[in-house]
Amino acid sequence: MMNVSLNGESHVPPGFRFHPTEEELLHYYLKKKVASEKIDLDVIRNIDLNKLEPWDIQEKCKIGSSPQNDWYFFSHKDKKYPTGTRTNRATAAGFWKATGRDKVIYSNCKRIGMRKTLVFYKGRAPHGEKSDWIMHEYRLDDHSNASNSIGDHSTPEEGWVVCRVFKKKNYQKALENSTKNFSTSVDLKTHFLNSSNEVALQQILSYMSNTCKQQGFMHLPQLDSLTFDQDSAFDSCYESIGGSDENTTEPCAAKQGGEGCNSGSPGLNDWVTLDRLVASQLNGQAAEATKQLPCFADPDDHIMCLCLSPEDHDCHNDTRCPHPESASSSSLDPMCRLLA
Amino acid sequence: MYDSMGDSNFNLPPGFRFDPTDEELVLHFLHRKAARLPCHPDVIPDLDLFPHNPWELQGKALSEGSKWYYYSRRAPNRSTGSGYWKQLVTDEPIISSANNKKIGLRNEYVFCVGEPPHGACTTWIMHEYRLSAAATRSSSRAGRSKLDHKRWALYKVYEQTSDDTSDDDSSIELSCLDEVFLSMDDLDEVSFP
Repeated sequence: MMNVSLNGESHVPPGFRFHPTEEELLHYYLKKKVASEKIDLDVIRNIDLNKLEPWDIQEKCKIGSSPQNDWYFFSHKDKKYPTGTRTNRATAAGFWKATGRDKVIYSNCKRIGMRKTLVFYKGRAPHGEKSDWIMHEYRLDDHSNASNSIGDHSTPEEGWVVCRVFKKKNYQKALENSTKNFSTSVDLKTHFLNSSNEVALQQILSYMSNTCKQQGFMHLPQLDSLTFDQDSAFDSCYESIGGSDENTTEPCAAKQGGEGCNSGSPGLNDWVTLDRLVASQLNGQAAEATKQLPCFADPDDHIMCLCLSPEDHDCHNDTRCPHPESASSSSLDPMCRLLA
Repeated sequence: MYDSMGDSNFNLPPGFRFDPTDEELVLHFLHRKAARLPCHPDVIPDLDLFPHNPWELQGKALSEGSKWYYYSRRAPNRSTGSGYWKQLVTDEPIISSANNKKIGLRNEYVFCVGEPPHGACTTWIMHEYRLSAAATRSSSRAGRSKLDHKRWALYKVYEQTSDDTSDDDSSIELSCLDEVFLSMDDLDEVSFP
């Protein structure tokens, strides 16, 4: 048995790093923790989240002596604010705030747990200053064996969770550096690709900001130009954005077909077309793609396509039995391409 | 996926993957190999055949995720049965983080199908790690054969995908959707229906 110990006195063999998949985190580590089973090597520590600042976590959760980009720990969710059911994740210097919706984690087509994404803010709400520290909090799904978990929001908010903390890459900085530092043809190529993708992402984000500010998220321009005959499905997809963070993508998950939202009515084929369009745009085949879909020839409309696509991405993930590692890299996911 | 590693040799808990830095490859693996020191864990096989078509490595080289690692002796000819490895980057130094000394060199190649120089380049990339002259000298002072040091190289081969983050770093990246939500958290006036 190889000896792995924590805090620098490590005997993790050289070259090896702790890069667990989400499935390993939930199915091996958290399951054992919840069942109070002994975990062979004490790789993941217990942390009191309220007592530890994110920048102290890295020292406490070191595995071996090699440099790490992410840190893992168990945390027990028992602290609640007096007024409600929300977990108190405040520290001395700031607080962890949930963002977005929880993601369902699957293993072999079975729902095994949920992932919540949190951001660390320095200071006190509502005037906290957002930091680059991100936490993924994984909890087991008690209802993973239920035949139909759709709309089931009763996942427990107490008990053990396993967390991964990392520092978000600063894309703006990366962009600036990349224009200075490339020296070789390969670097040039990769950096160029990255740069243009980042610019595109910035455009989307700023566009979304403006749209949300001016008109509210529901009133995206030129929605009508899509022959989209399932408005209700679209609406409910977007309702989940503003909903509680326990949401799953109900309208999409409700379709049992292997093709998810792309199956069925011809109108929904537009999603496929949009994906193709965006993909070809990013591959520099703009001219060809715009021929296929003339109403999207305007650059603004490309951004529009991208605004629609994230939900589509979730549909794929929810219905296609995603492999833990491939879920975020669906070939039909234009937003991911931007970040690639 | 973990063909060459064999569970019997590695009783590391789930979640540990072979993901060495350039420095680790040179210091812990190449240097020890060249100096004929015991390598523990001895995970990287010596294929001693150069060069390979990239798709022939599966089952022979150490594979982790979509990367392959192996030792080989250096040969001037980089043609394979189906094509050739075209050089992209020459002698990029690998610096030790401990003392800022140059410990090794890295060349980078892309695999092209066909006859040089008109082959069609693929997305297969090969990194070739060598010990630097300084590292070689210090070892030969210790009485080792200098010749052997110069001839050994460590290779890492992988296929560059359009989505490079899909490999092993994706787990510590925010998903694209998360990025969007995160940026929307900044919008005070936003109210959803």
